[in-house]
Amino acid sequence: MVLSLLLAACQPQATAPAEPTAAPTTAPEPTKAPEPTKAPEATPTEAAPAYEPMKVEAPSCDYGGEFKSIEAVDELTVKFTLCYPDPAFLSKVAFNVFSIADKDYLDQMGGDSVKMSDNPNGTGPYKVASWTRGDNVTFEANPDYWGEKAKEKTVIFRWSEQSAQRLLELQSGNVDGIDNPAPEDFETIQNDSTLALYPRDPLNIFYVGFNVDLPPFNNEKVRQAFAQAIDRQRIVDEYLPVGSIVANVFVPPALKPGYSNTPAYYSYNKDAAKALLTEAGFDFNQEVTLSFRNVVRSYLATPDKVAQEIQAQLAEIGVKVKLEEVESTAFIDATSAGEKAFYLLGWGADYPDATNFYDYHFANDANKQFGTLFPDIADPIRAAAKIADPAERQKLYDQANAALKEHVPMIPISHAVSAIAFKAGEEGVAASPLNNEKFGVISNGTGKIVWMQNGEPAALWCSDETDGETLRACLQVWEPLYDYKVGSVEVEPALAESYTVNADATEWVFKLRPGVKFHNGAALDANDVVATFVSQWDAKDPNHKGRTGTFEYFGAFFGKFLNGE
Amino acid sequence: MSAATLTASSTEANMRRMSPTREALRRLVKHRSAQIGMVILGFMVLIAIFAPLIAPYDPYARQLGAKRRSAPCIHLLGCPADQPQHIFGIDSNSRDLFSRVLFGSRLSLQVGFATITFAILIGGLIGALSAYAGGWVDNILMRSMDVLMAFPSLLLAIAIVAVLGTGLINALLAIGIVSIPRYARLVRSTVLQVRDLEYVQASRALGAGGLHVLFLRILPNAITPLIVQGTLGIAGAIIDAAALSFLGLGAEPPRPEWGLMLGEEKNSVFNAPHLVFFPGLAIMLTVLSFNLLGDGLRDALDPRLRGSNA
Repeated sequence: MVLSLLLAACQPQATAPAEPTAAPTTAPEPTKAPEPTKAPEATPTEAAPAYEPMKVEAPSCDYGGEFKSIEAVDELTVKFTLCYPDPAFLSKVAFNVFSIADKDYLDQMGGDSVKMSDNPNGTGPYKVASWTRGDNVTFEANPDYWGEKAKEKTVIFRWSEQSAQRLLELQSGNVDGIDNPAPEDFETIQNDSTLALYPRDPLNIFYVGFNVDLPPFNNEKVRQAFAQAIDRQRIVDEYLPVGSIVANVFVPPALKPGYSNTPAYYSYNKDAAKALLTEAGFDFNQEVTLSFRNVVRSYLATPDKVAQEIQAQLAEIGVKVKLEEVESTAFIDATSAGEKAFYLLGWGADYPDATNFYDYHFANDANKQFGTLFPDIADPIRAAAKIADPAERQKLYDQANAALKEHVPMIPISHAVSAIAFKAGEEGVAASPLNNEKFGVISNGTGKIVWMQNGEPAALWCSDETDGETLRACLQVWEPLYDYKVGSVEVEPALAESYTVNADATEWVFKLRPGVKFHNGAALDANDVVATFVSQWDAKDPNHKGRTGTFEYFGAFFGKFLNGE
Repeated sequence: MSAATLTASSTEANMRRMSPTREALRRLVKHRSAQIGMVILGFMVLIAIFAPLIAPYDPYARQLGAKRRSAPCIHLLGCPADQPQHIFGIDSNSRDLFSRVLFGSRLSLQVGFATITFAILIGGLIGALSAYAGGWVDNILMRSMDVLMAFPSLLLAIAIVAVLGTGLINALLAIGIVSIPRYARLVRSTVLQVRDLEYVQASRALGAGGLHVLFLRILPNAITPLIVQGTLGIAGAIIDAAALSFLGLGAEPPRPEWGLMLGEEKNSVFNAPHLVFFPGLAIMLTVLSFNLLGDGLRDALDPRLRGSNA
């Protein structure tokens, strides 16, 4: 049947495919010849026209990004050539923003995340059955999945901002699992034999940020004084779940190279802080504004309470603080545009490497949240990202951390434990340190898993997304070349079976897994990988559309776009 | 007009008004629900006035030794004597909840009186002007009041706060503005009723100016309904202010405002119920007292009863 469809499509005169309803999303339009790669899996060799490998190459590396070229070597081999060594490349492509879409599908949708969200076509263990906006997303198991098939037939995502409501839904049995129970509820859940708590390792940072260009924080002494005026230990003890730790530097201790033990960060000292502020000529009559967004994130469950705690702590040395709660998206926009002088923010790891923390924040010209970059912070960070040797990298990060302590563009507060909670007895549940829980491995015997998270996904195609609530939904449907093991920060092969890399980490060659099919039946090949990456990389690519068009993660991971402004 | 007649007529008016006033007061004191309302309200007012004396702690100070969100500790009810006493427990920022609720009464009462005074002044002026001037002035003013009334009041208040910016003062203004139409209509209807009565005409015939007639002859008639409506209005204003603060549009942390305290702790309903119970109870009691008193006042000042007395 599929063959006849294809044959019909190949003839320009044909009026209609034999069975137009057979494959709704991919039915080749009779007016245009199908792409060679669309050969259905049933007839892989004989019916498929000659495979034409794609290759996209930057004329030179001067455009400022990481990729030199992306190339399909043969049908199942794809090669990335980089402009400079990137030891974290594998971890980066394992991040599910870089999941692979079918080339024809991508062309058909024009790379528009909104259209693709209506009709997602991934390779993952679940397909999207429906997305009722404002209510739920329903996934159903993909019977043709290449790997271990999903244990339960249906997964339903629901959401509520209120931690009390999430817990109530879990306790009443309406949902199987919830994200981010309030730290105050950890004990309740642990004491309840029908529920189980799965803590996430603290792979995040919560910090107090400054824009070093805006008064009164353009004075380094003022920032140093604030660093000594905030009792970080108390914040960790009182406001964060058990197991959270006070931060010494910007990255958690698990990330080596990157974490530095020495120098130890400023210790809490009110008198020293007050003296330093006086010395700096700080005007104690002014009111400084502390901005924050009141949303639950894994690095901080109660921003409003911690903001008030900091307000009270600073009041003790005579600094008047006005709290300003800003809507979440507006807050992120305002901080990254450099409009907020003093704010609470945090960062959760996207991939477990120090570059994910340092580069985005302190060596990123596009990110204005800390104001003007300090060369003695940015230079070692940039240098470290291009070296493969861990010991050398660590030396550079030690330098950067010493400079971070001196200049105080931010005060690192804590690395916080967060958690997910499930009904007791559901098998295969594992909290991901990267907040990327997979549901295909969970079984509860009822055929249905209901999950309640903090917010609604913004889209179901994630190339242009940054929000964890959205990424988790995409993770069930789409897959990258390599993927994180369930509940772990180690990578394992996914759509690629294996990879090879040259000595200086500039050439990465991935062997794709044969026989992988997208949900619409199209087979995975190297051109799909090239097309997917190019749609993000090349600003002039017709599929470079996304949802907002910023492709923030691509920029943060791989530098500038090809053909960008 | 001679000064003598003026004084004579006004003392006469006073004497005539004295007896119904006393009569009304007597009825009010006897009114059961008004009694309860007055007792609660008196209690609240005393708390508000003497809050710094009653409160055991500074409402803004962190109790560094105490555990956050710990339940009430009352020595009389068996809490170990070596622990400091916190009657209402400790809030999420380690502050003494009892002291905060006490200080909250100051804010809420001030909010209620301030907004309603504002609304009565502006609304009364608009209503009086509108009724007295009549014609197109009346039309314009009353239609704009209709427009204001057509909005759900809380929604309009939120919109006004969104324009002015958050903050307690702006929230007060917003609630004041949305309360205006009620008083404007009330005063207008009273003025319309009285405007053409003989004593007013007489006053006018004696050469009294427009403002004189309006303020000294006509408006006193509006005082009774305004008192009743105002008392009930205070209750509404307190609730609206609490609602705005609950939504994060009113008072700003760390101010001890009841609505804000509720809003901040809405996720504690199950794991630390005392954090929402006590501020909620305080709002309930205050609003109840004004409602009961308002009901009592309405009965006591019923214009029909007064009319029969006169």
